[in-house]
Amino acid sequence: MFLRFVSESIRRAPRRKAMTVAAVAMGSAVATAMLGVMLDIGDRVNRELRGLGANLMVTAKAGSLPVEIGGISYRPVSREDYIPEAQLPKIKSTFWQLNITGFAPSLKAEAVLGGRQVPVEGVWFLRRLRGPDGAMLEAGLRTINTAWKVDGHWVDDRERNDAALEAMLGGALARRLGVRPGDTVQLYGRPFTVRGILSTGGEEEDRIFVRLEVLQRLVSRPGQVDAVQVGALTKPEDDFARKDPARMTPAEFERWNCTPYISSIAHQIEAALPMAVAKPIWRVADNEGKVLGKIRGLMLLVALAALASAGLTVWSVMATTVIERGTEIAIMQATGASNWMVTALFSAEVAIEGAAGGLIGSWAGLLLAEWVGRSVFQTSLEIPAMLGPLVVAAAVIASVAGAAQPLRQALALDPAIMLRGGQA
Amino acid sequence: MFWKVVARAVEFRKKRLLLAFSALAVAATLATALFSIYSDIERKMRVEFRGYGANIVIAPGVGAQTVPLAAVAEAERQGAVAAPFVYTVGHLDGQPVVVAGTDFRRSGPLTDYWHVEGTRAAGFGECLVGSTVAAHFRLKLGQQVEVVGAPCVIRGIVTSGGSEDAQVILPLAAAEQLAGLHDAASIVEVRADGERVIALRAALAKALPGADVRLLHAVADTEANVVLKIRGTLFLLTALILAITTLCVTGNFSALVLERSREIGILKAIGAADGKIAALFLSESLILGLASAVTGYGLGLLVAWGIGRQIFPGSAAAGIPGGVGVNYSVFLPVAGVTLAVAAGATLAAAARIWRIKTAVILRGE
Repeated sequence: MFLRFVSESIRRAPRRKAMTVAAVAMGSAVATAMLGVMLDIGDRVNRELRGLGANLMVTAKAGSLPVEIGGISYRPVSREDYIPEAQLPKIKSTFWQLNITGFAPSLKAEAVLGGRQVPVEGVWFLRRLRGPDGAMLEAGLRTINTAWKVDGHWVDDRERNDAALEAMLGGALARRLGVRPGDTVQLYGRPFTVRGILSTGGEEEDRIFVRLEVLQRLVSRPGQVDAVQVGALTKPEDDFARKDPARMTPAEFERWNCTPYISSIAHQIEAALPMAVAKPIWRVADNEGKVLGKIRGLMLLVALAALASAGLTVWSVMATTVIERGTEIAIMQATGASNWMVTALFSAEVAIEGAAGGLIGSWAGLLLAEWVGRSVFQTSLEIPAMLGPLVVAAAVIASVAGAAQPLRQALALDPAIMLRGGQA
Repeated sequence: MFWKVVARAVEFRKKRLLLAFSALAVAATLATALFSIYSDIERKMRVEFRGYGANIVIAPGVGAQTVPLAAVAEAERQGAVAAPFVYTVGHLDGQPVVVAGTDFRRSGPLTDYWHVEGTRAAGFGECLVGSTVAAHFRLKLGQQVEVVGAPCVIRGIVTSGGSEDAQVILPLAAAEQLAGLHDAASIVEVRADGERVIALRAALAKALPGADVRLLHAVADTEANVVLKIRGTLFLLTALILAITTLCVTGNFSALVLERSREIGILKAIGAADGKIAALFLSESLILGLASAVTGYGLGLLVAWGIGRQIFPGSAAAGIPGGVGVNYSVFLPVAGVTLAVAAGATLAAAARIWRIKTAVILRGE
C-alpha cells in the first residue's frame, strides 16, 4: 500500500518529478565536478611545478668548503668525498619513493676548451635502471629539468656505454665557441660529438655535459658521483614541519617522518645514503609550497561556495514541491491519514527523487571533472571512488531537509483552511 | 491597475516566490563570485610567482668578462626589478672563499627565498655569510670576519640550499673593489612581470648588444604553464557552473508560470488580451530576476572578497588595483544573463499555455 502510494505519485506526475530530479541532478553535478577537480588539482599542479627543477640537492659530506664560481672550482677538490654510483637506486627505496619524480647524479670536472677553463659534468641524461624492488625506473637530467630547451637531440644513454664520446653544450658556451649540433669538440684530447645545445638560462649554459661513465673513466674516478639533484612532490611546509626533528617526541617524529615535507624526505635520503647530505633548494621548495597552498586554498573555497549553493538549490527545489502539494496533504489528512503516514510518504518520495537526482548528477559530475582534467592537464584526474556515493548521500540529505520544514507547516495547518486555498 | 495585479500576485505567493528568489540569488551569487575570481586570477597567480626571484639573467656576452652596471638601469627603465651580483674569490683565515657582492636594496625582492637568521641586508663594513661558511669557520651573528681586504661584521646567516650557502655576501661596492671591477657586475638578475617576460627579454637584448640576455626557462615557462592551467581550470568550471545554473534558473521560471496555468486560463476567460497577460507575467519575472541579480551580485562580491582576502592577502599589499578579488564590472553580465533567462523562460512557458484551450486548462488537465 505504502509503496503503491509512492510509486503512483511518481507515475502520475512524471513531468514535475522529472523537473525536480533534474534540478537535484544539476546541483549534484556541480558539487561532484567541483569536488573532483578540487581534490586532484593540487597533485596536478605539483607535477607542473616540477618544471622548476630539483628541489633537493644531495652532495657528498665534505670536510672542506666548496669554493666554486659558475662551476669552476678555485680549490683542488678532495677526491675522498663522493657518493658511490652503485648506491643511487637507494634514493628510490625510501618511504617516499613514489613522491620522488626523478633524480640526476653528476660528477664535476673541468676541461680546457677554446683556451678557457670550462666546467664539465658527467651525468645521466635519461638512464634506465633497475630499482631496489626490481622494477625498471628512469633517472637523469631529463626526469628533473623538463623546462630545458634543446637544439639538436638529447644524448641517448639508456644503456651504459663508456666508449660513446658524446656531449651536450650549454647555449652560452656554444655561442662563444660557434659550435652547432653535429660538430666535434676536443675534450681531454678526445673528439666528442655534440648531440645538442641546451638552453636553460642558468649556469648550465656555460657547461659541457657528457655521459657519467665516460667522465668517470677520463678523470679516473670510477663509480663516483659528486652530487645528485632530486625532484620530489612535497607537502607545503607548515610550522610543524619547521620543528627540529631531534627535539620531537617519538609520536611527533613519526608524524613528521610520514608526511612528505621536503625536510623529512631529505632526512630519509640522508638515512639511505649515509655518506651524503641532502639540502632543500629553498628557491624551488619554498615557493612551490606557497603557490600550491594558494591554489589548493582557492579551489577549496570555490568548491565550498559551489557546494553550498548546490545544497541550497536542492533544498529550495524540494521545499517548492512540498509547498505546491499542500492540497494533496490536506486531502490525505482529511481522509484520515496520520501525520506520521503523510511524513513517511513524502519523505520516501523526496528521498527517492534526491537519490535519483544525486545518482545522475554525480555520474554527470564525474564525467565533467574528467573532461576538465583532460582539457587542461591532458591527463585524467584521480578522483576518489567515495566521491560518488558521498554526493548521492548529500543530495538525499539536502532533499529531505528541504522538504521537512514546509511539510511540518502543512501538517500543522487545518485541512479545511488548506483546501479552501489558504497558504501553507 | 496593472501594477496592483502584479503586487497582489507577489504578495499572495510570497512563500513560493521567496523560494524561487533565494534559488536565483544563490545562482547569481555563485556566478558573480566565480566571474570575479576568474577575471583576475592570472594577475594574482603571477604575483605568487614573484617569490621565485629572477626570470631573466644578463650574463657577459661573447668575449666579455663582466656586465656593465648600465644593464641594471636599463632593466629598471623597462619596468623590471633588477640587481647586480659580483662574484670573486677572497681569503679568510688563509683559506679561499667565494665572496659575492650585491646591491641589497635592489636584490631584496629577488632573494625572498633566502632563509636568513639576522637581517637580510648589510651596510658598509657589514656582510651576510652563507650557512656552510658559517659552519665551516664557526662564525656567529655580530662577529667580525677578517675577509682579506674587506673585514666585516656578520649581520645575517643565509640558508638557500644554493650557491649562497658557501659565500660571504658583501655590499656591492666592497665586492667590486675586492674583484677589481668598476661599474660592472658578474651577472645581473632581472625579474620581469610574467606576462611581459618574453617581450622584456627581447627589449633588453636589443638595448644591451654586448651582453647575453637569457630567459630562465625553468622559472618563466613553469610560471606560464601553471598560470595557464589554473586559469583554464577556473574558466571551464565557471562556464560549467554558469551553464548548469542557467538551466536551473530556466526550470525555476518555467515552473513559476506553469503552476499558474489556471490563473492564465481565468484571465483569458474574462477577456484579458494575450499581450497583457504576457506583460503581467514578464514584469513579475523581471522584478524577481532583477531582485535576485542585485542580491546575488552583492553576496557574490562578498564571497569573492572573502576568498580573495583569505587566499591572496599579499595581492592588496602588492598594489593590485581592486584589492582582493572584487571585480565590480561583472554586474552587467550577471544581471543581463539573469534577466534574459528570466524573460526567455517566462515567455516560453507562457507560450505553451497559450496554445492550450482555456477550457482545458480550467478543467485542470
